[in-house]
Amino acid sequence: MAGLNIVEKVIALEGVELLKNLTPEQLSRIASIAREVKHPPNKVILDPSIPMDALLVVVDGAVELSRDGEVLHTAKQNDVLGAWALFDDDPMPVTAKTVEDTRLLRIGRDDFYDLLSDNVEITAAIFSTLVKRFRKLVGQ
Amino acid sequence: MFRSVWKGFFDVRPGEYLRTLFVALYLLFILFAYYILKPVSRALFLNSFDIDKLPYLMILIAFVGGFLAYLYTRLAVKTSLPAAVGWSTALTIGSLVVISWLLGLDRGWVLYVFNIWVGLFSVMMVAQGWLIAANVFTSREAKRLYGLLGMSAVVGAAFGGKFTADMVRSIGARKLVLASAVMVFIAYLCFRALLMQKGVALSSARGAESEEAEFHFADIVSAIRRHRHLQVIVAIITVTFIVDVTIDYQFNAMAKLAYHDKNQLTAFLGNFYGIYLNLVNFVLQFFLTAAVVRWFGVGGTLQIMPVTMSVTALATFFLPGVGPSAALRLTEAATRYTLNRTGMELLYVPLPADLKNRTKAFVDIFVDRMGRGLGGVILIFCTTVLALTPKQIPLVTVAFSLFWILLSARASREYLATVRKRVASRRLDIESVRVSVSDPETLVLLEQTALGENPRQAVYALGLLADTEEYDLRPLLAKLAGSPAVEVRAKVFELARAENYAPLVDQALAEVHRPHSAGNAAAVRAAVGYALTVSGAAQGLLREFLESPDPAVWEGAMDGLAAQPELALGVVTHEWILAAASDADVGRRLLAARAVAVTRDKGTDVLHKLLEDPDPRVVAAACRAAGALRDRAYVYAMLRRLGDARVRGVAIAALAAYGEAICGTLADFLADDSAPLSVRKEIPRALRLIVHQRSVDALLSALYNANPTIRHAALKALNRLRQSAPQLNYADELVTVQIHQEARQYFELNAALAPFHEGQGGSRAATLLAHTIEERLRQTLERLFRLLGLRYPPREIYSAYLGVCQSKGEQHASALEFLDNVLERDLKRVLLPLLDAPGHALETGRHLFGIQKKTLETSIRDLIRSGDPWLVACAVAAAGELGMRRLAPDIQMAAQHTGPDVAEVARSAAALLAA
Repeated sequence: MAGLNIVEKVIALEGVELLKNLTPEQLSRIASIAREVKHPPNKVILDPSIPMDALLVVVDGAVELSRDGEVLHTAKQNDVLGAWALFDDDPMPVTAKTVEDTRLLRIGRDDFYDLLSDNVEITAAIFSTLVKRFRKLVGQ
Repeated sequence: MFRSVWKGFFDVRPGEYLRTLFVALYLLFILFAYYILKPVSRALFLNSFDIDKLPYLMILIAFVGGFLAYLYTRLAVKTSLPAAVGWSTALTIGSLVVISWLLGLDRGWVLYVFNIWVGLFSVMMVAQGWLIAANVFTSREAKRLYGLLGMSAVVGAAFGGKFTADMVRSIGARKLVLASAVMVFIAYLCFRALLMQKGVALSSARGAESEEAEFHFADIVSAIRRHRHLQVIVAIITVTFIVDVTIDYQFNAMAKLAYHDKNQLTAFLGNFYGIYLNLVNFVLQFFLTAAVVRWFGVGGTLQIMPVTMSVTALATFFLPGVGPSAALRLTEAATRYTLNRTGMELLYVPLPADLKNRTKAFVDIFVDRMGRGLGGVILIFCTTVLALTPKQIPLVTVAFSLFWILLSARASREYLATVRKRVASRRLDIESVRVSVSDPETLVLLEQTALGENPRQAVYALGLLADTEEYDLRPLLAKLAGSPAVEVRAKVFELARAENYAPLVDQALAEVHRPHSAGNAAAVRAAVGYALTVSGAAQGLLREFLESPDPAVWEGAMDGLAAQPELALGVVTHEWILAAASDADVGRRLLAARAVAVTRDKGTDVLHKLLEDPDPRVVAAACRAAGALRDRAYVYAMLRRLGDARVRGVAIAALAAYGEAICGTLADFLADDSAPLSVRKEIPRALRLIVHQRSVDALLSALYNANPTIRHAALKALNRLRQSAPQLNYADELVTVQIHQEARQYFELNAALAPFHEGQGGSRAATLLAHTIEERLRQTLERLFRLLGLRYPPREIYSAYLGVCQSKGEQHASALEFLDNVLERDLKRVLLPLLDAPGHALETGRHLFGIQKKTLETSIRDLIRSGDPWLVACAVAAAGELGMRRLAPDIQMAAQHTGPDVAEVARSAAALLAA
């Protein structure tokens, strides 16, 4: 299977809520730091005891999320794992394990911050999303 | 004493002479004209009507004159100051000629009109004179020069009064009115001469203070309801004007009784208003007010006027006549314009700046008139219902003055309470106040705060006291040098250094030798800088400090060296810098960079090495040093650093510090397509900090750059420069050409987008491509408005941009209406169809630029050929997903020429087309 090109990465990233205020071109800059990773079935990719340092997007395949042995959700194409891991390094209280051959896009926190420091308009767009989310929470 | 008085009036510095001369002459001639008109208008009225008509005139002047003055302010604020001066001068001269002719008709209503018009003259012309002064001089210059300007106004008034008194018998009132028109014309010539002076740029100044026209009545009423302090201010001002009206009435009545001949009355009023009143004002303002405020404080100063009024009014009741009434009028007017005004200014000090400005505007426009109008109504009540004679009116004055005394006592208490609150929240700004005296009670309060237990408030109070003129800070510094709070000790040493106050050296050295921690670094640094500045053995101390293991001590040493670079001789040598620059300790390398800046060491290798240091703090310090040296050898090293987000801000500031000499180099780099885009797009940020025509020219040439990122960055910088330096030339013609180009691009993008609206065959890449084009349209629209902001008023254009970004509705319609009225025909032709009828943009694009309608395939083909990497990538992917095999050669070409990302996308597309 060929690797994802930049346009395909952008299409995959369009589903990430944190990045929804970004323009396609800004997403292409995020895509440029997104690394494609492939995992075989039954591979644990998130462990509640290990802090997260990246956001993951399922490109194809399936990932099962469980807590204390109970399956909570199965993430499929374009679903996001660890949406807030780019800002918060607390471990997620779930275990994520691949169900089949799975391809993910991985955006590392360090690369992300380097990108933000050079692209202030991306930072502003992400702030805008965070503020809207905060307003919604306060409104609720 | 004589020198200090002389300097107080005549501290005019090189470069200010002609500006000061022409502003002073303008004020002189305007006041000359005013003090012809004032006595003539009043004397003619008194001579023609009974005294019982005077209250009606006062009410008319208050309300009709006030309304006209408000209308004038609303108009003037929308125009530039030179235009407002031109129009008001023409209007004034025209009106004076007409009034002079009307006076010959001998009609009663003419005298009412004349008196109301004279009231308007003081708002239009006299207030405008001071507005010119406020725009020609900075607030610091104003503090030095306003004494001289005030004196020229007094001289003008005195000449006007004397001229009227001497000439009325020989030429009569009508010709005096014409003479005042001549004075207004001479004043205007002085204004034109002022405009020609270097450094005078009034085109961006408004014809009236914007606050005067832009406050909202409901806001002010609500603020007055909330702030007791404001209620007291409004009440005092209302009573002040009621008393003014009753005293003026009494004075006029007595003058009418004493002088039956209109020329004699005019001469008397001319001498009284022009000479006596102005001279007394002048003496009080410049020799006594400051001392009185210092002795009595705000509360005491505010009491002086009502107490004096009640005593003098009582005296005139027992000794009626024109002499005592004139003395009362003289005392009232003189204390109102001097002591009372200063006291009231101080009352405003503790209010927040925006509330202060809005309230003052409200008071000037409404409370002033309301007080005078109310005074007129009270007079009518007293003279008709109570049947009081003019000789009994002083009793009314006494009654209101007693009420005023109570209000002043209340004001004093409210003032201190508000000051206390503002100091506690650190929001008191003494520097912004244009009075040169400070209230002793406030000073005591600030001293108590400085000695108090809250370190932040203490530091704030110390700062305020340091800004207070003629306040001796040194005893307080001596007391606070041993404060347990680090911030306070740091502030004490900083201020002692600024004052060159030497007795704290032992405490400073104790601070340096005290066991160190990160917490007291600020105090150590300030103590070192202070010790080096005031000590007689500074070089020995410098050697000791530079050997200290504490970075705070080194920093302080560099602060001291920055103020006295000569100390570095023989201590901070080139070898010393070289050794520090090679040290493994980051702190020593930082110190080396600062030392280069302070000693202006020309060892270029050292700074080159530091500019390449792995630690961003060292690089930042090296950039600052390069900016201080302004040596071109470091420019390219700093340009490269623009790509590093950690030091970018410092590198930009350092490049800007080179000034206009570097604009050409920056322009070359900006235009160099082989340089990294991440560096080039930051160059406009440096250029916008260099306020010079060469910066503007460099940025304007970048508008032709093919790269939209560069164009956008250059435009943003130009917009900022236009705001900070509107006097520079922004090449209207070139901007117009660029607007046409951007508009063309807008229509081309629109034509490219249209086929996507008809369906994209379920291709996700095509949807992404459509979103990208929509975003490009938005960016092009923003650039168009940024370009318009270079040709038209930026704030209004920005509002119009926000309006057109709304899809429809009131704001959208208002924005289009505004653009329709403002834009020149050529631009309207291109822009309005784009904004007003986006549904017809295809036809407009064809009509204006010959842009033809496209199919989905031709649109994608054109985008693949566009050369814009991201658009090409999306278009190639869309062509692959939509199976457009005829585009295979274009895809192949793009893969070879548009970068690795596009090549990768092209491979995927080719695979799809082959399948």
